[in-house]
Amino acid sequence: MVLELRNLSKSFGGLKVVDQLSFSVARGERLALIGPNGAGKTTVFNLITGVYAPDAGSVLLEGSDITALPSRLRIRRGLARTFQNIRLMPHLTVLENVMIAQYARSPGVAALLQPVGFGRANRWREEAQAALGEAGLQSHANQMAGGLPYGIQKRIELVRALAAAPRVLLLDEPAAGLNPAETEALHLALQAIAARGITLVVVEHDMQFVGRLCQRVVVLNFGVKIAECAVAEIHANRQVREAYLGTDELAA
Amino acid sequence: MLEQQLVNGLMLGSVYALIAVAFTLAIGVLNFLNFSIPGLFMVAGMLTWYLLRAHIAWPIAALLAIGSGGLLGLLVERFTYRLMARSAHFVPLVTSMAFLILLENLVLIAWGSDLQRVQVPFETVSWRVGPTVIAVPQLIGLACAVLAVACLDILLKKTRVGRGLRTIAEDAETAALLGVPVARVVPVVFVVGGLFTALGGVLFALNYQQASPFMGEEIALKGIAAMVVGGMGNIWGAILGGLLIGIVETFSITWFGARTVDIGVYGLLLAILFVRPTGILGGALREQRM
Amino acid sequence: MSGYLESVLVLLAINTILAYAAFLPMVAGQLNLGVAAFVAIGAYSAGYLSQTYGLHPVLAALAAIFICAFLGWLVAFPILRTRGIYLALATFALNQVVQGTILNLNVVGGASGYPVPAHIGFPVVATFAVLVVVAMVALFHTRFGISFIAVSDDERAADLMGLSVRGLQSAAFTAGAALAGLGGALYAHHFNYIEAQNYGVLFSIYVVLYVLLGGTQTVYGPLLGAAVFTLLPELLRGSAAWRYVIFACLIIAIMSLRPQGVLLRKSWFSS
Repeated sequence: MVLELRNLSKSFGGLKVVDQLSFSVARGERLALIGPNGAGKTTVFNLITGVYAPDAGSVLLEGSDITALPSRLRIRRGLARTFQNIRLMPHLTVLENVMIAQYARSPGVAALLQPVGFGRANRWREEAQAALGEAGLQSHANQMAGGLPYGIQKRIELVRALAAAPRVLLLDEPAAGLNPAETEALHLALQAIAARGITLVVVEHDMQFVGRLCQRVVVLNFGVKIAECAVAEIHANRQVREAYLGTDELAA
Repeated sequence: MLEQQLVNGLMLGSVYALIAVAFTLAIGVLNFLNFSIPGLFMVAGMLTWYLLRAHIAWPIAALLAIGSGGLLGLLVERFTYRLMARSAHFVPLVTSMAFLILLENLVLIAWGSDLQRVQVPFETVSWRVGPTVIAVPQLIGLACAVLAVACLDILLKKTRVGRGLRTIAEDAETAALLGVPVARVVPVVFVVGGLFTALGGVLFALNYQQASPFMGEEIALKGIAAMVVGGMGNIWGAILGGLLIGIVETFSITWFGARTVDIGVYGLLLAILFVRPTGILGGALREQRM
Repeated sequence: MSGYLESVLVLLAINTILAYAAFLPMVAGQLNLGVAAFVAIGAYSAGYLSQTYGLHPVLAALAAIFICAFLGWLVAFPILRTRGIYLALATFALNQVVQGTILNLNVVGGASGYPVPAHIGFPVVATFAVLVVVAMVALFHTRFGISFIAVSDDERAADLMGLSVRGLQSAAFTAGAALAGLGGALYAHHFNYIEAQNYGVLFSIYVVLYVLLGGTQTVYGPLLGAAVFTLLPELLRGSAAWRYVIFACLIIAIMSLRPQGVLLRKSWFSS
């Protein structure tokens, strides 16, 4: 099990947002975390990445308990994420945004002092350029991240997360706001990433997308896990249908 | 002795209170730390000196000086908030700082750097209450300050403009959608703030009989401390903070010496910022951008 | 070189160092209105060391760097728990408290000013300035530069990307304090007289303004800002007050037309 949540609970001002949540993810697996709005999915990601400390329960990454580990150290352990609302640094260029995440692979003051700006051949810059090229974004490398279109920014966020060479990648609504062509491109990109052995945990509302990409599903409602099954079985699950109150997405 | 110091502190504090109101109005409604306010204080004080020296009747001089605050406030609004509200969030703050520098140096050029004695054309009557002396003009000044804030309170709560201001304070973006004529309402913050500050400058010049181009820096800047201590965005907090700072200053001078004022006043500001940044009457901590 | 030209160049050198002292915290997202306080601490401590202990003035200046770095690091602990406008206000309050404290230290002259006999000549001051500029340019070609901006743009995301937000903010504040101290020490030993009255928040404001004039988007912005602030009045002959009037008008104009400052950038790394 590369990622494991055990009885994770979190309340905000008396409201229990995540309630005794447990599930685990196997190495190389593609797991979807689904549920209606307000079910607590992003909070779960925030608990896993250390933005919030849980009131109870634990998070294990590759067997070790990271519950008390500071958030900034978790990416160094191989846990990277993208955000529901894009969080690129608007005053850095696309290339620089990608390079920020590289730090996790060789942290420390000495690494900060590395002259990445001098010289034509600099392995970190070249690597970031190559990653952008692979994603078809090389033309944007020297543009300020702040002014770019939404779809482009989403793709950049993915490249940035990968620059940290993660073993587990948390994706918070990666397909939100994308048109069908972009969604298809995203699907192919994530399949390629998964093929490299990276474990994916995806929060998504787009059930078609989930159905094509993921193998297993954990369903959340009001912070409680109401179901966990293979992707093909969601439609048959009554509790899940009730949770969504009969939306068309499940019928698709 | 203690009572006298308290009285002195309250009198001085009423000046700080007026300045603090100007600051707190801009912070509360527009999230804007208006560094030009000390400049307006100074101009009003210097104008009072200048007009009285030219033998203009003191009520007229006072009114002109107070009016200057309103006018300058409007000018500052044109060049800070109006032009730059959509720019980077620090831009209005920085530009207001530039106005402070501009005003101070223009006055230095016009009238030199000396401390000026203000010729007060009326007798300074004092009341004795036991061993304590209360200068009547200063008492009137305190009364004016409280009255002005009470009027402002009514304006904010009972008038359309006031409701508009409070709506903008809640959420500047949706205020326009809700039908608030933002472009007409925002200048009110600057004009009212300017009038309050200028009133403070006039009262200071008349009650302490001095004015200098540096009085903005030396005196009015403490209005920021008063605003924070009392609670940012709260006009009664501004009164409270102003009076408190006045008392702290007076006690610092009496017990520790004239040069310890800044340590006392700004030390208190620093302490409040660390311990309870919302101030005495402040509400929940908002993410304050500049 | 004429005495007049030399003083102008010395001022340019010192203003450049001060510009970078304000620039570093600003790039990391901190509006530091306490620059003047550290300039004063550097000036007074270096002056005191060279006078009372006969320390060579250059060594005194180096000592001032460490003293200010240490004090800056110490002060950063409580100060960096505040954000945005509260941070600006806290540094403003700090500045006034420091100035007020120095005014009461009779051992260094209190309110009467402090003569500092030991002299540092123009060549040494210029050398320090050049070293600072070179160091800054180099620093902003490393990860430090982009890391500061990342922290300034989005603390939460920077933290999740593995950056030590507190460490970087503290480094920027401390380094800024150290540079300010250096500038103060050099000023004290070249002009041989310092007055605490000069180091109020308005001094900090001037520095912040000329840094913003040059722009905080490139590492050369502060240099340009310092140059404009120092050389403009020389070109325009006039009293000190007129120089500040023009400077203020320039700031207002720049902020309305081009708030990012004069020098814009495409990338920290040209590739």
